[in-house]
Order: sequence, then structure tokens, then C-alpha cells
Amino acid sequence: MSDLTDAPRIEFDHVWKKFARGELHDSLRDLVPATVRRLAGRMPPRDELSGEEFWAVSDVSFEVGPGEALGILGPNGAGKSTILKLLTRILVPTRGQCSITGRAGALIEVAAGFHPDLTGRENVFLQGAILGMKRREIRSRFDEIVSFAEIEAFIDTPVKRYSNGMNARLGFAIAAHISPDVLVIDEVLSVGDLRFQQKAFDRIQEMCTSGIPVVLVSHQLERIASLCTHALLLERGRVAKRGTPTECIEAYLESSRNGDPGAGHTSGLTFDALSLESPLPVRSGERAHFRLSGAVAHGGDEASRDFTLRVRALSTGRLIFSASAQDCGASMPAGGPFEVDVELQFNVAPGVYGLELAVWDAETRRDVVSGPGVTVQVETGALTFSGTSHLLPRARVLPVTKAAGASR
Amino acid sequence: MSDLVLARDVPPPQRRSLLRDLREIAVDELWKYRELLYELTLRDVRIRYKQAVMGFAWAILMPTLIVAAGTLVRFAMAYMSGGHVARDVIAGMAVKALPWAFFVGAIGFATSSLTGNLPLVSKIYFPREVLPLSATFAQSFDSTIGAITVGVALPFLGVHYGLTALWVPLLAVLIFCVTAGAALFLGCANLFFRDVKYIVQVLLTFGIFFTPVFFEPRMFGPLGARLMMLNPLAPLLEGLRLSVVEGHNLLEPLVLVGNKGAVVAWSPWYLAYGATWAVVGLIVSMLVFHRTEGKFAEYV
Repeated sequence: MSDLTDAPRIEFDHVWKKFARGELHDSLRDLVPATVRRLAGRMPPRDELSGEEFWAVSDVSFEVGPGEALGILGPNGAGKSTILKLLTRILVPTRGQCSITGRAGALIEVAAGFHPDLTGRENVFLQGAILGMKRREIRSRFDEIVSFAEIEAFIDTPVKRYSNGMNARLGFAIAAHISPDVLVIDEVLSVGDLRFQQKAFDRIQEMCTSGIPVVLVSHQLERIASLCTHALLLERGRVAKRGTPTECIEAYLESSRNGDPGAGHTSGLTFDALSLESPLPVRSGERAHFRLSGAVAHGGDEASRDFTLRVRALSTGRLIFSASAQDCGASMPAGGPFEVDVELQFNVAPGVYGLELAVWDAETRRDVVSGPGVTVQVETGALTFSGTSHLLPRARVLPVTKAAGASR
Repeated sequence: MSDLVLARDVPPPQRRSLLRDLREIAVDELWKYRELLYELTLRDVRIRYKQAVMGFAWAILMPTLIVAAGTLVRFAMAYMSGGHVARDVIAGMAVKALPWAFFVGAIGFATSSLTGNLPLVSKIYFPREVLPLSATFAQSFDSTIGAITVGVALPFLGVHYGLTALWVPLLAVLIFCVTAGAALFLGCANLFFRDVKYIVQVLLTFGIFFTPVFFEPRMFGPLGARLMMLNPLAPLLEGLRLSVVEGHNLLEPLVLVGNKGAVVAWSPWYLAYGATWAVVGLIVSMLVFHRTEGKFAEYV
């Protein structure tokens, strides 16, 4: 690192971006009244909000330097795509500064520039030029791109005759062969069939770990967990949390759990507290005890008193276990306060897990009550295995009988 | 560091100035993305000739039809006044039909070039100027084929090429500038207001009556000739005809005396007027385009 200011980096400095709801004026007819209003001074200045406008991104700042990969997560409408568009200069911030030092590569909407009537070959050059590559650069990587996309046989066929998968593979291959100084990735990770997805993911991983600054936007929490060095949780255009990917995924799951408990539903059950009784960390394969307390309202039937226990792998957000209290053998009292001891055996790989409580309504298929959660750190223990869960295997070698041999 | 083509250094906010904007357009956008301009032009040309029954005949179809229509009009006029249509009249129309066809074609494609490439405009960054400009360049490819055809045909219509034909390159560049300026402005306007496309269609349909293609401005008398020359394309098209067909040097005025008095058929000032339109129009359009570019993705 000769000079830090020259090192490629992504900077987002107090960026605000507003959008308008509803229609913008689309014909000249509508422009005239709007202009008159603006001239008459009835319109607010351009960087303030007026009637139908809202901040899609408000006061978001981050910086990504060499060797860092930032994951951005959040629910739909949180402003993730807007941030990507600001980063790739498709949109201009209303306030604040957004800058990328160095040549930017973007893995977004990879086949957007394809023209159906042109052949694969022609489209590679066209799309490459749109992404800012030089002709000679494309020519030198052409074979690599085509073999990565696995369409050697169809490269001189018009793209309109391609299948969706071929289209997407070629698009991805082109975008993945720019050698950028910084990289911006949208959720293009699910391109093609399973095998190609893995290949694409490996390629992305290769690019991410090559030491260039990376920004990754995804709903696939596992990807963020495995590719990013830190993360940022967005909610309604604001930064709700920043930290390690695991911390942000945890916060994201927490907020989406508390997001919208079924309005108007009443349940016969409320939770007070949930705590881990066993010492941390729990070793893989060991049992851990939890204590939870709450109260049951009088007069409900048995179903209204039941609740659900769930365990998630927080690094990925994936639900790995879910069972009702009844299934676990707890029959709740007909009314009044209760206290329950829950014992779980963590036959899982080392990592961070979360235990959550909820009252689930089978009819609406939603959580009626979201209870408290608790985080459990699991470390390597007696069980040695790889994968996500231990299936308590037993294997023994059988003696080969003569009959079995003869029947062949 | 030839690889820094895509360097997206966003400069610190400064006050906008005309010169800074023009430098940005010329250096940061058009020069750095010249290969994209080339690729998009190639794309537009390719798709025009792919799966096309006409092939290269397409390039001369429109000018041929214009000349045919013009001949019909001039024949009617000649019949009424008891004369006949001279060969050099047809030659003059052929010379003017070509740039007019170029203008109509380029504007037609350029107006919808931004809205027609919606996925590109809303998904990937590149200087948007290249879209209307590549439409204009693709049309010049057609017109070049047309120009060669007309160039070969003119001697058969009695035209002798003289030194004055050397005005053609300059006039061609000026016509290109007028067209590119209009293309940028209309492409950008159509992105914000979708009815621009229809207005443009109507204007292009009737534009031929307000542009001297079928006739010469002097046919409208002293005042009429001046009014007709106000159309920015008029002096450029007339200049082409005078220099190629009539062998007139455009630096010298041409006054024709008829039975209704003297008419100024040409003055060097006309050339200056057309050139000013071409240059100023192009610069203004580029600035308008550049300054609204940031909003394209939101409005498209």
C-alpha cells in the first residue's frame, strides 16, 4: 500500500435519496402547471420533501476499503437496491456524497444489454463495452467467457434462441470477467442450474477474497455470512445496525420476527422471560437447559395454550428445528403463571444459534405472539462431524454370507 | 494506466460551469466510452440489416421515394406553367433528399433511443449520450451508402463535379451536427415526456414542406426566400445543391433577377447562419442532456 488515498475504495458519505410516490409528470401537458407552481414559489426547495415524496435512503454512511466486504441486508423496500443504484451511478444522491475510487465492476442484472437479434459473440462485445471494457480486453478474454458460460456450441446463434439459463450464464460470465478495482454485487447468485450456481458462487468468492473492496446486497443470509467481513442492516432507508455479519443477521431476524405479529389476534398465552441456564459456550453434542416463564389466561382450550420452540442458525438465518411445547412433552396449566424448563441437545456444528419462542396460529399460518429469544454459542465438542447437524449415526460392518455371494 | 477507463472518481462538488460540463461530456464520457459508441452503432446497423429482405437497398429506398415524390410535384408545377422538368432539377432534389432522409431517420430512431433501451438505462451506468448519438451514427452509415449511390448517379443527370464540390464535407459535418443536436435534445425530452415522440412524428411528416427539398427558396420571392432560409437545415441543403449541381462557390452571393424582381438565392451569411445553428445547437443540447442525465433512471 504505497498511498492509502490511491487504494480503491467505496465511500458513502451521509447519503440521502428521495423518491416520489405516484406518477411523475409524463407528458408536456402536466409540466406546465408544475412549472408555474415552482415559479410561484409554492414548491419546496429540491432537497426537502414535498407532498408525495419520501426518503428511500436517509443518512446512510459507510466505507469499504481493500480486503473488506460489506454485506447489506434488510427487508424489501429498505433501500438496498437504491443504494446499489447510487453506488453504480445510475442514480444521483439528493444529498451527500457517494464515490468509488478505481474501476468499478457490477454484478447486477447481468444480461440487461443483450439484443435478441444479435448472436452470442456480438452480444459479448456489446455487453462488454457497456460494462466499460475495451475491445482488445474483451477479445483476450473471449474464450474464457464463452467456456465459463458453457455455450461454445451456440456462440454464433442469435441470443433470442437461447434458453433463459444460457442467457443468464452468458451475462454472468461477461460480468464476472471484468477485472474491477471494486466490486458491487446484487443478488445474481442464483443464476442457472445448481451446478452453475455453485460455479458462479465460487467465482464470486474468488473475486471477493482477492482483496478488492466489495459491497454485496442479498436476501440470502448464508451468502452474506460466508462472503462478508462486516454488514449493515437497513430498515426503511436508515442504518438500523452495523457490525459483523452474524450480529446484523441476528438483528435482522429479530426485527423480522417482531415485524408484524398478527394484529387483532388475542392469544391465551404471554411470555415474560427466557434464559439460558447452562454455562456458555455449549459444546457440540451437549445438552443445554433453558428456563422460560409466562402466564396463561383462564378459560382457553388446550390448543390456545400451546406455543412453538424454534432454533435458527444465526449465521444463515436458516430454521433448523421447530416443535410445539406439546411435542416436547410440556402440558401447560389451564391458567395462571407458568415456568418451563426446556432441555435441548445441540447435535449441531459449531456456530451461533438462536432459540425463539412464538405462539403460532395454524389457520393464518402466522405468529400471533412473538416471544423472547436467546443466543447460544456452540463450540467444538465431543461430536466430530462436518455438515450442519449430527444424525447420531451408527455403522457396523456386516459379515458377507455365502448365500449373498451366490445369489449374484 | 490505460486500464483506468472506468475510473469513476466523483469530483468534489463544484459550481457547474459551461466549460467544465463540456469537458466532462467530451473527455469523461464520450472519449472514454468511444468503444461503446462504436459497439452500439454497430449493433444498430447490424439489427437493421439482419433478417431484412431489402438489404442495402434499404439505404436508398427513402431518398429514392423522396426524389420520386419531388419529381411528381415539380412536374405538376412545370405543367401548369407550361415548361418541363429539367434534369438538373432532379439532380438538385437528389442531393437534398439524401440529407433530409438522414435527418428524418436519425431523429426517428434517436427520439426513442433512451426509452427503447429501458433495461440499460435503468440498470447499468454509462454516459447516456451514446444512445442518441449511436442512432445518429447508424443512420450516417445508411446515408453513406446513399451518398455513394447518388454520387455515381449524378453525372447521368448532367452534373459535372467542379472544385466547388469540396464544400460537401463541411456541409455534411454541419448537417450531422444539427441532427446530433436535435437527436440528443429530443431523445432526452422524450424520456421525460412521452408525447414528444408523437409531436416529432408529426413534425417530421410535414417538415419536408417547410424545408427546401422539392423546391428552391427563391421560388417564394425575396421575402419568402429569407423566411424559408430561417429553417436551420435550409441553408445547408441549399448549399449542397448550389455547390454540387450548380457549381457555385458558397463564399459568393448569388442574386437571380427574374420577371418579379431580384431574389437573393444565396449569401455567405446563410452559411454562417446554418453553421451557428449546428454548433450552438449541438452544445446547448449536450448541456441540457448532461444536466438532466442524473434523473434519467428515475423518470424512465
